[in-house]
Amino acid sequence: MRVKQAVLVAGIGLLAATLPLVAHHSFAAEFDSTKAVTLQGVVTKLDWMNPHIWIYLDTKDDSGTVAHWQCEGGPPNALTRQGWSKDSLKISDQVTIEGFRSKDGTNTCNARSVKLPSGKSVFAGSAEDGGPSKKAPTQ
Amino acid sequence: MSTRIFRLIASAALTLAAVVLIPTRGLAQAVPGLPETVNKASGPAPRTADGKPDFSGLWQRPYVPDMTKTTKDQQGTAELPFTEAGLKAWKAYDAANGDYTGACLPFGLMRSMNSPDPIQIMQNPHYVALLYEQNTWFKVIPIDKPHRDIVPTWFGDSVGHWEGDTLVVDTVNFNGRTRLDTIGHPHSDALHVIERFTRTDAGHIAYEVTIDDPKIFTKPWTNKRTFTLRPDWEIMEYSCEENNKDLYEGHLKQPPH
Repeated sequence: MRVKQAVLVAGIGLLAATLPLVAHHSFAAEFDSTKAVTLQGVVTKLDWMNPHIWIYLDTKDDSGTVAHWQCEGGPPNALTRQGWSKDSLKISDQVTIEGFRSKDGTNTCNARSVKLPSGKSVFAGSAEDGGPSKKAPTQ
Repeated sequence: MSTRIFRLIASAALTLAAVVLIPTRGLAQAVPGLPETVNKASGPAPRTADGKPDFSGLWQRPYVPDMTKTTKDQQGTAELPFTEAGLKAWKAYDAANGDYTGACLPFGLMRSMNSPDPIQIMQNPHYVALLYEQNTWFKVIPIDKPHRDIVPTWFGDSVGHWEGDTLVVDTVNFNGRTRLDTIGHPHSDALHVIERFTRTDAGHIAYEVTIDDPKIFTKPWTNKRTFTLRPDWEIMEYSCEENNKDLYEGHLKQPPH
């Protein structure tokens, strides 16, 4: 099984349609819209708690080095009304997360889409938090 | 591709999306204790025993992160009439220096009204209460009472009165520590908010808010929205503090005091 981590400091326009709803605070207060990140890894933990869910995953680069990441998703109440639950994602699930890194440089991201290997999106919603959405981030 | 074919494909995609996204949780309940005569989404607006429109129910609202934008169910004011001080405050704002909502401090009136989370409205002849799901806050609005002389607060001091079938809510006495919306439009402690609620039919509220703040704006401006009754939803607990890793782990800055 090949797990690849790719950190892209570039705009990607693939983030439409499956965006977690974030309303707790401004996107710009924490995340950098110029630091898009695509993470492929294994889910190690899920916090189904307010004010946002958090997905924890381990990624592995080509040399086999493991990195621990945490990505913020939408509020559990809004996700619940969209049909998701804490059981929608399980520990050991393989996921691909597209999002944006935090400004502080830690392995923290704001997830704009979460996909299973089947291509199915998990925790889809809509984001209008001032963060990047259908448009590629401004360079 | 012709426009017609594109529309067909778009229509099919939307139908598929609707089927895929049909929620399976959070919909089985209804607002507890609310009779079906009030909690229904069709027909004329229900009325209370004293003949006033009955706003009781759980209302879904458009998320308004930027009050200058016009979106579905929401009409903004594109050009805000800033005073010199107002424009200076707006240009100086950078959420990266600390967004108070990230610290789970009270959103205040306007950011609570602008939040995407639903509100439950409860009323009797003496009071109307707005229960904001956002961070589980509330506002109580006495009817036909004068403003109180109290220490300024995050949500301000609200009083209501009826103008025909419209509930008019007047709020002053803000502490000036909040922002109007997520993007951070400013206001001062001189903020005066006038909200007009009209239940146009059983399923909808026409909501109009006027922002009046002579320190920040040269004249009042408005924002109009439509709220939609969700008889199939119930209000849920929202504890902002329980896992606010953004702040606890230092990814967010503490807001300036």
